[in-house]
Amino acid sequence: MPDLSVRLASGIILESPLILASGILDENGYSIKRILQEGAAAAVTKSIGIQERAGYKPPVVVDLGDTGILNAVGLSNPGIDDYHNEMKIALQAGKPIIGSIFGATVDEFLQLAVKMESYGASAVELNLSCPHVKGVGTEVGSDFPLVEEIIASLKRRLSIPVYAKLSPNLTDVVEAARACSKADGVVLINTIRAMSIDIHAKKPVLSNYYGGLSGPAIRPVGVRLVYQVKRETGMEIIGVGGIENGGDAIEYMMAGASAVQIGTAVRKYGRSVFMKIKDEIHSFMEREGYSRIEDIVGAALP
Amino acid sequence: MMHSSVERVERLNGDTSIIRFTWNEAVKPGQFIMVWIPEVGEIPISVSHVGNPKGITIKAYGPTSRALVDIREGDRIFFRGPYGRPFFLVPGRRLIIGAGTGMASLLPVIDSKTFGIIAARSKKDLLFADAFDEQRRLLVTDDGSAGIKGIAVDALTHVDLNQFDMVYVCGPEMMMKSIYDFLRPRGTSAQFSLERLMKCGIGLCDSCSIGGLQLCRDGPTFDIKELDTMEEFGRSRVLESGKRISMGK
Repeated sequence: MPDLSVRLASGIILESPLILASGILDENGYSIKRILQEGAAAAVTKSIGIQERAGYKPPVVVDLGDTGILNAVGLSNPGIDDYHNEMKIALQAGKPIIGSIFGATVDEFLQLAVKMESYGASAVELNLSCPHVKGVGTEVGSDFPLVEEIIASLKRRLSIPVYAKLSPNLTDVVEAARACSKADGVVLINTIRAMSIDIHAKKPVLSNYYGGLSGPAIRPVGVRLVYQVKRETGMEIIGVGGIENGGDAIEYMMAGASAVQIGTAVRKYGRSVFMKIKDEIHSFMEREGYSRIEDIVGAALP
Repeated sequence: MMHSSVERVERLNGDTSIIRFTWNEAVKPGQFIMVWIPEVGEIPISVSHVGNPKGITIKAYGPTSRALVDIREGDRIFFRGPYGRPFFLVPGRRLIIGAGTGMASLLPVIDSKTFGIIAARSKKDLLFADAFDEQRRLLVTDDGSAGIKGIAVDALTHVDLNQFDMVYVCGPEMMMKSIYDFLRPRGTSAQFSLERLMKCGIGLCDSCSIGGLQLCRDGPTFDIKELDTMEEFGRSRVLESGKRISMGK
């Protein structure tokens, strides 16, 4: 009987390697609670900032079918103080919740992380990679000395692990990961900058014009970055980007990811995608004779 | 994104229009589409006419709905869908209870035997009252300018619920909560079409979620029993930011 549980280097224990990715069904506490009850092993919250933000006006998504989804939701969030109530509801599921946070300065990240820890988050995930909001996300993530300072100050203050979610929209993602060497791990990858024009309206569809691409089209990009960063830094990695089935998850893990996140696949399969992928990983392990997830992690590395 | 040319616009009163357009796609009663006005915005709208030409009925309340109300014949209309779980249609006798523009999603449910309770602020806001013969409907207005003076739930004491096989309800959430509170202890079979702020329409962004279910995908129609488990129903909702605010008086 294969064992799907995972113990991350940071000590977090997961019943399976499947985590809900930030930005998908994770703003409302009741939504997180339900998706955890329906099969996700853990959930990353929507990225939360200091202040309430309404985000962009719809259209905020473009459904590109088999390619994936283009989005520019615009970091909508109720602000860290109001998020406390949602965390209380979400934690009723009894599974780990990772608080995603975004900010512009060391002090903002520190305030947010300290609050997430006090709310009961099992870890924080730093959004250093949102591709479509000025002053935060990738703009912070591409300032490596600032990233080092943020992580160093968080590690001094927090007792929960710190993960950094990195952007694929950088010239050198390995360098970006090295700037995070004091973190407990990196999450790869966020969405890829993209846009979509309606040829009958002769206009970009997203109200923000530019957005981020997720889904099946970006999976090979994610697999390559996970593999490369693992090989060159040895850091713990959580893989994310276009995972729709057990094989996709195993591919990321063989590239070096200790666990994976699922987001866009919820569009195609609904919340039950977590149970579906869990079953597919289980069958693969049985068929191929793996008894533990750790035997798969990094299997494709030299 | 799909598009079609507007064939006909029927202006009902100052701020409501029925827009008809050809779209060869099967749409079921209770489903909705996301309608896009380039450079203005995108909003969810119930399909009020599911035959061909298809139709949507829209009241102006923000920039996108305003632009739609003012759309003209021959203009292009952009949309995606259909989305959502349709109403489950029972063959027997139906009672529909609609308030304001909530009547738009109930229109396709009406057959020759259906009884209607139609509520609105005032006589001029009553929508699709003429879809019923006078002996098969009750009108309710806040100001008493037509029918019963009061709110939709006040009309329920005037009908014998036992003669209906299914009740279909759509309107503002506090109106639906009062109907739910009336029907639930009586064990009446009912379906509700809920409305919440919605952004993506495809079950990802979490704007329209209630009780962990996504209105755009698991709903917008729900059986009365499903509402039992929704702690947020009639109590709280979230703003565009996701900030939770309480509802009601």
